[in-house]
Amino acid sequence: MKGADTGRRIEVEVEPSQLRERLRRALEEGYDHFIGINVVDYPRAGVMEVYYFVESVQRGGELLVVKLRVPRENPALDSVSDIYPLAEYQEIEAHEFFGLDFRGNGSLRKWILDENWEGPPPLRKDVDTRKFVLETYYGGQRYERPKQEKSLQEVVE
Amino acid sequence: MAFLLTLDGERILDVDLIPGFLHRGFEKMMEYRRWDMDLVMSARICVEDPDHVELSYTHAMDQIFGVDPPERAKYARTIVAEFSRLASHLLWMMHFAGPVAARYATSWAIAAREEVLKWFDYVAGHRIYHHYIYPGGVRWNLPKDLKERTLQVLDRVEGLVRDMERGFFLHPVFQRRARDVGRLKASDAVRLGATGPVLRGSGVAHDIRKALKYDAYGMVDFEIPKGEYGDAYDRAMVRLREMYVSIGIIRQAVQQIPEEGPYRWRLPMALPPGEGVGRVESARGEFMTHIVSTTEKPGGRPLEPYRIKFRGPTMAHLTTVLKHIVHNEEITVADFPVVVGSLDPCPPDIDR
Amino acid sequence: MEMVLKLLGLGFRYLLRRPYTRLYPYKEPPFTTERTRARHLLYMDRCIGCRACQLACPADAIKMYKIEGEWPKNRLKIFPGVDYSRCTYCGLCVEACPTSALVMTDYTMEHLITEDKSTTLYTPEMLAEPPKGEHRVTFTKDLLKPPPQPPPKKGGGG
Repeated sequence: MKGADTGRRIEVEVEPSQLRERLRRALEEGYDHFIGINVVDYPRAGVMEVYYFVESVQRGGELLVVKLRVPRENPALDSVSDIYPLAEYQEIEAHEFFGLDFRGNGSLRKWILDENWEGPPPLRKDVDTRKFVLETYYGGQRYERPKQEKSLQEVVE
Repeated sequence: MAFLLTLDGERILDVDLIPGFLHRGFEKMMEYRRWDMDLVMSARICVEDPDHVELSYTHAMDQIFGVDPPERAKYARTIVAEFSRLASHLLWMMHFAGPVAARYATSWAIAAREEVLKWFDYVAGHRIYHHYIYPGGVRWNLPKDLKERTLQVLDRVEGLVRDMERGFFLHPVFQRRARDVGRLKASDAVRLGATGPVLRGSGVAHDIRKALKYDAYGMVDFEIPKGEYGDAYDRAMVRLREMYVSIGIIRQAVQQIPEEGPYRWRLPMALPPGEGVGRVESARGEFMTHIVSTTEKPGGRPLEPYRIKFRGPTMAHLTTVLKHIVHNEEITVADFPVVVGSLDPCPPDIDR
Repeated sequence: MEMVLKLLGLGFRYLLRRPYTRLYPYKEPPFTTERTRARHLLYMDRCIGCRACQLACPADAIKMYKIEGEWPKNRLKIFPGVDYSRCTYCGLCVEACPTSALVMTDYTMEHLITEDKSTTLYTPEMLAEPPKGEHRVTFTKDLLKPPPQPPPKKGGGG
C-alpha cells in the first residue's frame, strides 16, 4: 500500500449477522486492543457503512478493519461491548451522532450532545448545520459581524 | 469535562464522565471546507499537543494522494513532533504538580516550556498552533542556522529537566503520595484499550513509533521506557524518561538531516477517491485519523473530504480505565486528583 | 536530612534568578522572530480583485469592500478587509494571492490588545497603511521559494 506510513492493515468485509462471531474470532487470534468505530453515511445509495478498528499488541501494531453495511432506514446492529469493553462508549457516540441502534447496549443516550443539540442526529448528510448556524447566530450573513443587541456597558450596569 | 462521583464517606464507589463542554462539532465542520483549510482546523482539536493531530491527518492525506514525502521533510516532521511531545510533557508536569501540592514545580515546568515555544516561534511562526506539517512534506523550509539554535535550546531544557528530576520526582513526599495509587495490571490495560504512557507504565512495551516506523523514526536510535507496577509513580517516571528520550532523538535528527533537497511535493487541489488511516504516537497515546474521500455525484472530484473521524487517546483512559481502577481499589477523594493527573487527560480529545 | 538540605539549596538558587515573566504589552515589547505572523499589510496597487484570499480563508474573516478611484489593475474595484476577531493567522490568504499584494508583518498591538471590539475590524485603507511602531515584514511568498514540484512517479509496485 502506498503512502507515508506503512499500513500493515487487513480489511475484511462481513454481513451484519456475522459481526459478533468475526470479532470473537479476532479476539482469539490476538487482536485484543480496541480502537474505534466509524460510520459513513451514503444517502443516495441508501446505506451506512460501519467500520470497526481493532489492533494487535503482540504482533507489533497490526490493524484489522471489519467493514459492513446497514440500510439507512432504522439501522440496527448487535452490540459487541461484552467482547471489548471500550466498544460500549464508541457505540454511544455512533448512536447519538448517526442514530444507529445497538441491540444489547443498555446505556445508549445523548452523551456528548447532551444539552448541546436538539434535533435529528447531526452527522447525517441531510442535516445542514452550516445553514442552521448562519441563521441562528449570524442573521444569515456569512461575512458580516452579528449585530449586538446590547453593548457591554448596558450589560454591566 | 466533569466527573460524577458516588461517595461512601471518603471512599469513591463509582465515577461517571460528563463530556460535552468542549464540543465544537469539528467532524461536521470539516465536511464543508477544503482539505488545506481542514489542516488549519485539525490542529485546534488537542490544545496541549497539536502537532501530532496534524501529523496523523497528514499521514491519512498522504495515503489518499499516494505520495511519500522527501527525506528532508521526514526529518523536519520528526523534529517538530518530538518538540511538541516535550512541550506536552512539560505542560503535564504543570498539571500534575498541583494535586500533589508542589506548586514550585509548576513554575519551573512553565519556564522550561517557554524555551520550547520560543523555538517554535523561530521555525514555524507561531507558538502553539503551527500549521507547519502539510500533506506532501512540510509547509516551508527550515531556517539556515537550525543546528546551532536547536542544540542551544536543548541544552537549556535538559538542564531544567534535570533540576526538576532532583527537586520533584525524587522527592520523598511525592513518592509517598504517588506510590501504590491507581494500580493497573498489564493484561487489564490491554483489554481496556489504554495506550501511551498508561500502557507502558504497566509493563507492556508497545509504541507506535517503533511498530510502524513512520517518518524518520526508523533512522534514529532510541529505546522505549517502561514501568513495572502500573501505579501513578511509574507512569510519572515513564513520562520523565520519555522527555530525555525525546531530547536524544532531536539531537540525532539534527545531525542527520540532509542539507539540500526539496521540502514538499506539490499536490493537486482535487482529492482522488480513496481512504486513509493515519496512526501516530502522540504524547498521550495513540491518535488515529480515518479519512474517506469519495463523491456521490457521478464524475465529480471533490475538494472537501467526505468523512473524517478522529479518535483520541483520552476516550479510553477516562472511561473504562478509570472505572476499573475505582472499582478494584480503595480510592479516596484525596487520591482522586493524583489518579486522574497520572492518566494525563486531554478533554478536547473526547468532545472534539 | 541531607536530601532536605540539597533541595533547599536548589530552591535558593532558583530564588536568586531573574523572573521569567515578560511584562507585555505596556512595559516591554513582545518577543517576535523573523517568521512571526501577525497583522496584514496590503499593497493596493498590486491587488487585482480576484477574491482568492476570501475563498482561501478557513474562518471567513476576509470581506471585500468596493473602493472608488482609479485602479488600472482592478476592474471591479474591490479590495480585502480583515476581521481580526475571526482571523487565525494561518497565512493561507498570503499563499493564495497571485500577485503578492497581501503580506504579513510581526506587529501585534492595537488590532488585538484593545478594550473596544470595534477596533478589530480593519478596512482595506486601514490595512494599506503600515503599522505605527516597530515592525518588519515577515511572511511573504518568498518563504515558499524554491516552489514545490509535483511528486516523482513511482515505477512499479506500491
